[in-house]
Amino acid sequence: MTEAHALKTRMATLFRRFPFLPALGMLLLLFVLNGIAEPNSMTVRALKGVASTYLALVFLSVGQTFVVYTGDIDLSVGAILSLVNVSIVVIMSQLGGEPYVVLLALLVGILIGALCGLVNGFVVSGLRMQAIVATFATSILLSGIALWVLPVAGLPAPSLFWKVYGGRSYGIPNVFFFAVVLIAILAVLAKTSMVTKLLAVGNGQLSAYQSGLSVTRIRIYGYVICGVFAALAAFCITGDTASGDPLVGGAMTLSSVAAVVLGGTALSGGIGSAFGSAIGAIIIGLISSLVFYAGIPSEWQNLAQGATILVVLMLGVLASRRINQ
Amino acid sequence: MKLKNALLGMAVMALAIPAAQAEEFTIGLSNGWVGSEWRTQMIEEAQAAAEKWKEKGVDVKVVVQSANVDVPGQIAHVRNFINQGVNAIIINPNSPTAFDPVFSQAKEDGILVISTDAEVSSQDALYVGIDQTNWAALSAKWLAETLKGKGQVVAINGVAGHPANEMRIAGYTSVFNQYPDIKVVNEVNANWDQAQGQQAMQNLLATYPDIDGVWVQDGMAAGAWRSLMDAGKAGQVAATGEIRKDFIDLWVKNDFNSGASVNPPGVMASALNVAVFMLQGRELKEPAAAGQYKNALYLPIPFINGDNVATVAKELEGKPGFYSYTSSLSIDEAEAYFK
Repeated sequence: MTEAHALKTRMATLFRRFPFLPALGMLLLLFVLNGIAEPNSMTVRALKGVASTYLALVFLSVGQTFVVYTGDIDLSVGAILSLVNVSIVVIMSQLGGEPYVVLLALLVGILIGALCGLVNGFVVSGLRMQAIVATFATSILLSGIALWVLPVAGLPAPSLFWKVYGGRSYGIPNVFFFAVVLIAILAVLAKTSMVTKLLAVGNGQLSAYQSGLSVTRIRIYGYVICGVFAALAAFCITGDTASGDPLVGGAMTLSSVAAVVLGGTALSGGIGSAFGSAIGAIIIGLISSLVFYAGIPSEWQNLAQGATILVVLMLGVLASRRINQ
Repeated sequence: MKLKNALLGMAVMALAIPAAQAEEFTIGLSNGWVGSEWRTQMIEEAQAAAEKWKEKGVDVKVVVQSANVDVPGQIAHVRNFINQGVNAIIINPNSPTAFDPVFSQAKEDGILVISTDAEVSSQDALYVGIDQTNWAALSAKWLAETLKGKGQVVAINGVAGHPANEMRIAGYTSVFNQYPDIKVVNEVNANWDQAQGQQAMQNLLATYPDIDGVWVQDGMAAGAWRSLMDAGKAGQVAATGEIRKDFIDLWVKNDFNSGASVNPPGVMASALNVAVFMLQGRELKEPAAAGQYKNALYLPIPFINGDNVATVAKELEGKPGFYSYTSSLSIDEAEAYFK
């Protein structure tokens, strides 16, 4: 009895420290199911495909997490992604595809992302508007700017750009290196006081304020970090699609929110992990592949995909609730 | 050890695919948006077209991925097809340019890629479908001629920045420019949504009560016509229409002054028939080199106006209201494009 209890307490501590554990389990399960349904989906090449397709959503979801930490939400991440995508493509095609131009474009892209985040943060935290409505509004504004920068999809990115993204170094696909770099960044970020502060604000703005934290500023930081990650996501999209498209990110916003929740982060703020969101993004991708590999008829694919995401969500919630009891 | 076996198995499978019977093809169909019945009909017609090849002794197996996905989600569709080892992919793409790298991967694997309904920039793919610019030009020409080359016109468009939308705008603009007395007084976007189309038409009627013509894209025309009827203007204004059965019935019943270019849901079926011939190693008489990306094979665009709308209505009898008037290349018609 006591032993069982001790085990439970240990598990509970483990889950509280690593809220992404249920998601990780789901991820492994989905990999196995995909492998059974279509053995070819387990080749290095197919895995590279999964990574290059979903790395953008991974970055976007990670960015979303830092906003959700404080209990806010950012419905403009897709629009930021589109804006950065078209901006860097336009810059690179105007100035030529030299390596230093590419670097300059990336720098400008990060700046745009950060600036968009700053605007969001100012509107939500500075002007105290509801995050869900305010960022919805900025998303429309940013999409408008993206359409102004590039009115219709179609400008190709220089080959240097997508060859690096889709290529290999030392025989290993470059996207795997990017994924490793992301994990390293997340590991470092998780140790910083910034994340602790974001979570503290999410736990209770009043108590955070009373303990001397500048709540307004911290929430703005959350949005800025989110904007920067949305810009990184845009680099991935540009790498994988080799082109500019002012509408490319629109449908990705809600997927990023779903990935955050799948990864074990509470939308109410205060608890979660960015690593979990990264896993959540891959889970969403693997689910849609599985629905196809399992041979679901086309008219049921949307339903099957939605139902599976719901089931995975519920399993995650149930698991953490049982452990926390 | 197990992994090794699995890898060996895969290698054997990979070797076995080309050795399979020559007249057996797997074709993947990808559709990235399921918001309208038109898309459902598109896939059903393509599946039916694949069935028909049995009579010719060709076994065409169709695998379908159809769901609301973002652009990366549809890139994943293509990657899934590549993993499965299909012979050809037919795609209604969510982006004109974003598929360049993944299509070049497909081509490296010897997979034929055809886009339909929306053109793609990839030179590793070809486009089989209608010319959206010409689609708009045809109905604009009808409108200009119906108005005898004179009058005030408004345009209601779809989603700004969407390539098909931009091509259609270019199409009607070039036509209206040839008629100096046709004035386009306003152009608005209603996002291919009937309710928004109805709303836009209401606003336009309030602002410009004496317009003579409306150039409105399909998917919003029924809504626009509803506003025209509510305002009692249906008899005085000429406006473009839809190809759905419920609208055609309304058209016949109320004797609208309307004309509609047909963007048939059968384009994917046409593309499938073209794909099978290409998989058999046949060569096109004229290489697909039309369009802005020089990779398009344009199909004929039927047109419905007052002269033939009754015949169309009869053809559609017994179909559900959301059913679109369609046309596609039959196997024999498709063969006429080949040497």
